[in-house]
Amino acid sequence: MELKHYIIRRFLLLIPTLIGVTLLIFAVIQLFSPVERAALYIRDPRQARDLPGIIKKYHLDEPVYVQYYYWLREVLRGNLGYSKSVNMPVLDAILNFFPATIELVLYSAPLIVLLGIKLGVLAAIHKDRAVDHLTRISSIIGWSLPSFWLGILLLAMFYGQLGIFPPERLGTEASVYVNSPNFIRYTKINTIDALLNGQLWIFIDALKHLVLPVTSLTIQIVALIVRIMRSSMLEALNKGYVLAARAKGLEERDVIYKHARKNALIPVFTVTGILLAGMLTGVIITETVFNYKGIGYWAAHAATQLDIPAVLGFALLAGVIFVLTNLIVDILYAYIDPRVRLG
Amino acid sequence: MRKILEVQDLLLRFYTYEGVVKALEGVNLHMIEGESLGVVGETGCGKTMTGLSILSLTPSPGRIEGGRIFFQSDEGWVDILSLDEETVRRIRGREISMIFQEPNAALNPLLTVEEQISEVLIQHRREEFIKKVLNAIEEDLQKTERKALSRAFIYKIEKKIYENMLKNPKSLLVRVFSKTPILRRYQNRLRKEVRREVVRILKEIKIPDPERVVDMYPHELSGGMQQRVVIAMALACNPKLLISDEPTTNLDVTVEAQILNLIKELKSKFGSSILYITHDMGVVAEICDRVAVMYAGSVCEIADVFEIFRNPLHPYTKALLESIPRPGKKFKSIEGTVPNLVNPPPGCRFHPRCPKAMPICAKVKPDMVNIDGHFVACHLYRKGRK
Amino acid sequence: MWFRLGIRRFKREAEPTIRELKFSLNRIKSSPLSIIGIAIILFFMAIAILAPVLAPPPKGWRDPYMIPHEGWDPTPKPPSAEHPFGTTQHQYDIYYGCIWGTRTAFYVGFVVVGSGVLISLVVGSIAGYYGGVIDEVLMRLTDIIFAFPTLVLAMALVTAFGPSLESVIKALILVSWPSYARVIRGEVLSVKQNDYVEAAKSIGCSDFRVIVRHVLPNSIFPLLIMASLDIGAIVLTEAALSFLGLGPPIGFADWGQMIAFSRNWIVGPPGDPYKYWYTYIIPGLFIFIFVLGWNLLGDAFRDILDPTLRRR
Repeated sequence: MELKHYIIRRFLLLIPTLIGVTLLIFAVIQLFSPVERAALYIRDPRQARDLPGIIKKYHLDEPVYVQYYYWLREVLRGNLGYSKSVNMPVLDAILNFFPATIELVLYSAPLIVLLGIKLGVLAAIHKDRAVDHLTRISSIIGWSLPSFWLGILLLAMFYGQLGIFPPERLGTEASVYVNSPNFIRYTKINTIDALLNGQLWIFIDALKHLVLPVTSLTIQIVALIVRIMRSSMLEALNKGYVLAARAKGLEERDVIYKHARKNALIPVFTVTGILLAGMLTGVIITETVFNYKGIGYWAAHAATQLDIPAVLGFALLAGVIFVLTNLIVDILYAYIDPRVRLG
Repeated sequence: MRKILEVQDLLLRFYTYEGVVKALEGVNLHMIEGESLGVVGETGCGKTMTGLSILSLTPSPGRIEGGRIFFQSDEGWVDILSLDEETVRRIRGREISMIFQEPNAALNPLLTVEEQISEVLIQHRREEFIKKVLNAIEEDLQKTERKALSRAFIYKIEKKIYENMLKNPKSLLVRVFSKTPILRRYQNRLRKEVRREVVRILKEIKIPDPERVVDMYPHELSGGMQQRVVIAMALACNPKLLISDEPTTNLDVTVEAQILNLIKELKSKFGSSILYITHDMGVVAEICDRVAVMYAGSVCEIADVFEIFRNPLHPYTKALLESIPRPGKKFKSIEGTVPNLVNPPPGCRFHPRCPKAMPICAKVKPDMVNIDGHFVACHLYRKGRK
Repeated sequence: MWFRLGIRRFKREAEPTIRELKFSLNRIKSSPLSIIGIAIILFFMAIAILAPVLAPPPKGWRDPYMIPHEGWDPTPKPPSAEHPFGTTQHQYDIYYGCIWGTRTAFYVGFVVVGSGVLISLVVGSIAGYYGGVIDEVLMRLTDIIFAFPTLVLAMALVTAFGPSLESVIKALILVSWPSYARVIRGEVLSVKQNDYVEAAKSIGCSDFRVIVRHVLPNSIFPLLIMASLDIGAIVLTEAALSFLGLGPPIGFADWGQMIAFSRNWIVGPPGDPYKYWYTYIIPGLFIFIFVLGWNLLGDAFRDILDPTLRRR
């Protein structure tokens, strides 16, 4: 079928999947007591005093499916409850903390993808030689390192001893300036805003603070990508069309990159879905270790404080993001591999 | 009529966990220009490896450890095994090409038919096409009116790029243009010329509706069509030698018949030499001029196709012909099994199964003797006997 | 007599499998990485088993998994004769914590993976065998769970259950069984096609018997491989949750938690930045090497058993 039809079909599938996500979150909600559940509906701590009123208003004493309806309605209206750990409604907290995480992902993702693919291809082409062994060992090590430990080690070395790359998002001076009326926050992404405001020193400061978390995040996930890229490339190199391409007299470079790699990238695309999961998981730990105030930090902090609406709001957000990115990946996949379009 | 290919004492070994597989042990054969030589034998006798060796494409852990493969290339009578990789690459696809057994596997599922065939064309006939493009640009330049300055400007730039491509393909100008998204469109002219040729080739191969097929992906084509596309790829640059490795084994009989007819036609039209690897004696009878029979890594007998059927000399050939099932005849197979190539029998590898085996057969490997153009490697016919 | 006949038949039928096994063992022996992996795991097993000997709890101490501490001095102390690895915040003995933490790690790994495998065996084989609506429903369920990154969902569940080691284990089981179930279902589906299943059904074997005797034994192998590879990942996730404070109570012998204690001491006083290195380096090394061992083993298994990569 046409690519267009495939895209439309995938989009239609999106709705039941998203509903499934909400159902699961709702199921988790049911594990809490009614009083705790009530916290999910208030936007303001003062409302908490009127507990019976809340229960009545959101039908918390009625059967499960009724509750689901009212809960979903509130969610779609943007009411995800109140996050006591940061003293603001959950939705506001998300909007507040998300840009920081986006900034982190913005710098990590391209690095991960490019490095991962490049190293994986290299390891496959030079199989069983030095490059291959080195890459594989580094990848296994990267995969076995506890993420928080890596972060701590990096902090100890580059901050504790060398003092060049500090934690958190900005230094004190830059922080103050950024929050002052002189600085217009267009995107809340510090590096971009700094450039837009023409404040180069803030841009550099933000970059310095980003180095460690980005490195930490990259190392873990690259390890995974390299391994998968390598095995998929090895498989592709063994295929008949590679032999046929060589028999046609093509340059080895064309054989590898045009034929083998193109096919090898296919499973890597599906792995990108896992990449996203890795990111969403990785930011929780990485942001916590570096005190980098993004949504990962907020979620982890909230969990320790038993701030239920925050944790659930984060889970819901993560689920939705994941589903959407998988959709995009699937469409890209269909764009590259025409066999998939047959449905 | 001169020789186009001569394989001398080819030795191929595979180093595996289970031991050293002596896949090819002294393969000797030769081909005359314009003829089709059938290479027959049971599965595992080394036919495919011989074909791959000619193109210097034996897969690892295989290593060619001896022998020479002479070929009448544009640069003269050369030993392919002694050439460096770059020179061999120029021969592959252009002077010698290969058709594989499974068309499905030989075609890249992610590229259209056009892309895969044009690859070969661009790789080997680049200059020809660039010159055509330059001519086309000249024509366009002549046709534009004075006033259309911008169009003329674009043409002039295109002309510059293509001239550069001709003289110095790796020049900075070409590289920059081919990597930048919008500027890349200059390649459209080349694509058009090549595409035209691709469609023409597909028509030659009798593929129906070539304009449509050209844009299709391999999985959208039937097995027979896929094989035709593979043949088109192999013939795109008019090779002197075409190696066909069991191209019809995986196709239905009717499709097989079509493909065989196609190959016969192409052979007479273009005069290419064909090395036809198969295990099917029937096919050999139909399209081959001469036949080479292989067993367990070496050639037993080479002769004219009629000769082979009328007067097979080697005991293995005789047994092979007798085992072809015929209505009314009792089914006869060859006793014993194909030998393990890690520990092949000493001397003549066929001797454990040979009804005419003599004591010397277990000790000495027979050399190939020439009996009036009929070659046999068997102690029954060695010099001094018969 | 039947017994002897049975053994003879078993030997005959198993012969090709045994040959393949010998080949695999050979491959393992020749791969240095897998030997290292096995050695590491055996080393840790020894530590776990010998924990009461290597780090005996003080007299009268009730729960050996609670790390002993002398007093509540917040500053960690460097390694000494009494405390071979030093003490961390609030004087918890790092050596003790790491040794008993090994037991915790194995406990979590095996329980989570073991339960996950059991649950998925039941669910996956039913889904694969009966197909139809049951299959659809179960597949949708696994899809939904897959829609969440592991740690995120685990975090939400642990918060719901209330932070403790048991909650972590429960949460991890819930989050990991779907992937095993998918594998089992796939295997069951392909085995189901085989003739001997048809044959068994035709002579009147009940569905249960068919599943247990014919379908499962053939499908279990890849699952076991996958599960053993996962132990490393499970322990990492558990350590992460403990690090975040969502695991066992404070003072419990858990590697992740011990690293959490070290957070305030990562940067030492100016002039001696690595002063408190032992608080984070040592427990971290334990986790790292433990997981590395499992990953090496898993990688080696995959390379060895993958049929396409097997020969040469």
